[in-house]
Amino acid sequence: MKFSSDEIASVLQQEIENFDSKIDVREVGTVLEVGDGIARVYGLSGVMAGEMVEFPNGAIGLAFNLEENSVGIIILGDYLTIQEGDEVKALGTLLSVPAGDAVVGRVLDPLGNPLDGKGPVQTDVTRPVEIIATGVAERQPVGEPMQTGIKAIDAMTPIGRGQRELIIGDRKTGKTAIAIDAILNQKGQDVKCFYVAIGQKDSSVAGVVDVLEKYGAMEYTTVINAGASAPAPLQYVAPYAGTAMAEHFMFNGGHALIVYDDLSKQATAYRQMSLLMRRPPGREAFPGDVFYCHSRLLERSSKLSDDLGGGSLTSLPIIETLEGEVSAYIPTNVISITDGQIYVQPDLFFSGVRPAMNPGISVSRVGGAAQIKAMKKVAGGLRLDLAAFRALEAFAQLGTDLDPATQAQLDRGYRMVELLKQPQFKPLPVADQVVILYAGTEGHLDDVEIKSVSQWEADFLQYINDKHSAILEKITAEGALSDEVRESIEAAIKEFKAGYKPAA
Amino acid sequence: MENPDQQHESVMDTGAEQLGKTYAQALLSAAEKAGITSTVVDQLTQIVDEYLGGSPQLAAAFDSPRIDADEKNRVIDKVFGGEFEPLIVNFMKVMAGRGRLGNLQAVRDGAIALFDEMSGQVLANVSTAVPLDDALRGKITEQLGNVLNRKVRLKETIDEELIGGMVIRVGDTVFDNSVANRLDSIAKKAQEGFSATLLQKFEQMTSD
Repeated sequence: MKFSSDEIASVLQQEIENFDSKIDVREVGTVLEVGDGIARVYGLSGVMAGEMVEFPNGAIGLAFNLEENSVGIIILGDYLTIQEGDEVKALGTLLSVPAGDAVVGRVLDPLGNPLDGKGPVQTDVTRPVEIIATGVAERQPVGEPMQTGIKAIDAMTPIGRGQRELIIGDRKTGKTAIAIDAILNQKGQDVKCFYVAIGQKDSSVAGVVDVLEKYGAMEYTTVINAGASAPAPLQYVAPYAGTAMAEHFMFNGGHALIVYDDLSKQATAYRQMSLLMRRPPGREAFPGDVFYCHSRLLERSSKLSDDLGGGSLTSLPIIETLEGEVSAYIPTNVISITDGQIYVQPDLFFSGVRPAMNPGISVSRVGGAAQIKAMKKVAGGLRLDLAAFRALEAFAQLGTDLDPATQAQLDRGYRMVELLKQPQFKPLPVADQVVILYAGTEGHLDDVEIKSVSQWEADFLQYINDKHSAILEKITAEGALSDEVRESIEAAIKEFKAGYKPAA
Repeated sequence: MENPDQQHESVMDTGAEQLGKTYAQALLSAAEKAGITSTVVDQLTQIVDEYLGGSPQLAAAFDSPRIDADEKNRVIDKVFGGEFEPLIVNFMKVMAGRGRLGNLQAVRDGAIALFDEMSGQVLANVSTAVPLDDALRGKITEQLGNVLNRKVRLKETIDEELIGGMVIRVGDTVFDNSVANRLDSIAKKAQEGFSATLLQKFEQMTSD
């Protein structure tokens, strides 16, 4: 294969002929000092806060601090080749990123440059990175479920489209796993997914991309990566850039899901920049506006009114706590901003309860509105039952003799805990979840050994998918648990149990 | 790195600049009262450029904290007394008394900026590849004056790397019509356009 030189020459000739030479008028300044991802620039007297500037090496900067004698610029790119005395050019626009279908399936940096070696993003669609979130009149209440495919979450802390549900917990407790499962479960649901990795090891991000590719989720997912080696300004803008890309789908009537992994690192990057810019430090040395930094980001997730197309943007921010300390500054901030939190705990994680969600302190403030009716029916009392079970379990450990009713409650609890365990990368359709939870809450598992519950569950799901898929289809279609459906589930369970012999 | 002098000029002490502005304001108000503003600015420029610029020892002596104010006053009287306006000589003595004599250049810069502002003038830095002739100079001054609605003072620089055309800088705004810049932007544009077309018509443009 070779290039035909005539064609190339004609394209270039066209470009040159169409080049209209206008006088280039630009507002400039001079670099006074540069380092640590920020620069102080003299001049640029007409620059506006948040305006883009360009350095001679091609790096883009943002006017961050406007001071009396100089302008503080954050550099979104290579700051090592910028020198004192370099001319800085104001571009007169706000930072924007490519958006639209062209970004789907790509791995990009926060400026929309490719990191996956598939060439530049070819699109005319761009969106400003920082916009003010939609107001009250443009929204409607969240009412449509956003299924994560995780039994414990869809049953007890359901997430609706347009909701912000925080995933919070210590390191290595499966926070990212929950978010990845939620992305995997959006296959075929017409939801575009965005995974924003902030300050993560590039190896972990490569692992995530690998999983998404393996399960066919990259077809509808964009990964935005500002890794641990990226300068702080890039880590700071990454979530806003990801949101801008996701908003394109929301404002065009579609649905999007965005995961911010994680916002504690973004806050740290913002703290670094603010301190270098000599903004006064506050609690934990974070700047005074770190709350606004997160609130204006998460406020952009919304469910739009029908007049605006009814699109939605659901966000799953992740916060890493230290030793379970949720009363630290950033965790309390983000807890108060979001519409609920999924709290994952290391002790649960290591005792084998995975996902390690603690149902007692995890909530979803949208609640039942984000569940289908059938799920609401089977899982309505589940959260309280589990909480009661935990209390009882602690009491039972004292070794007292228990009356049969209490013992039965305990046995049911053990089985429900077992039933809510779920392996990674195996999200379940909502109809499957409904029948399984029905079997559990109606006591059909009480005579199954605790350690064989998961095997029973797998076999039963296999059975019902093979033999009675009509029931599942009916639940999916109707969304409700009618008496007719209930009877057919009962019958299917009876039939299954009659012929079931657990593998030895 | 090719031009170390230019690199050095950008070292900007915003504190000194602030100080220079304050002293310049005081000097010009006094000069205005006496009605000798432009003379004062000219003479100050002369002192900084010719005397201090021509004799680094004098500049160092003015800057040195080890030489006390009386000694400095004596030098000022000896070198500048008689030849320059008494106002300037007194002003320098005040600066010496406050240990600020080393900032004379900042004061000069501040005074020029302030004088331009007071007299409705504006400084335009014009860079060209070849030296300007008088006709062109007049044309630039006139046209810029019309656009900016100010009297224009030109400061000329020769920069052969521009190839042709000129670059005019007024304040923080740069009007760039140099050949070098146009070549740069045409290269950028052609590159972008070419890669876009290449992706669109990859089949057409390649042959087996």
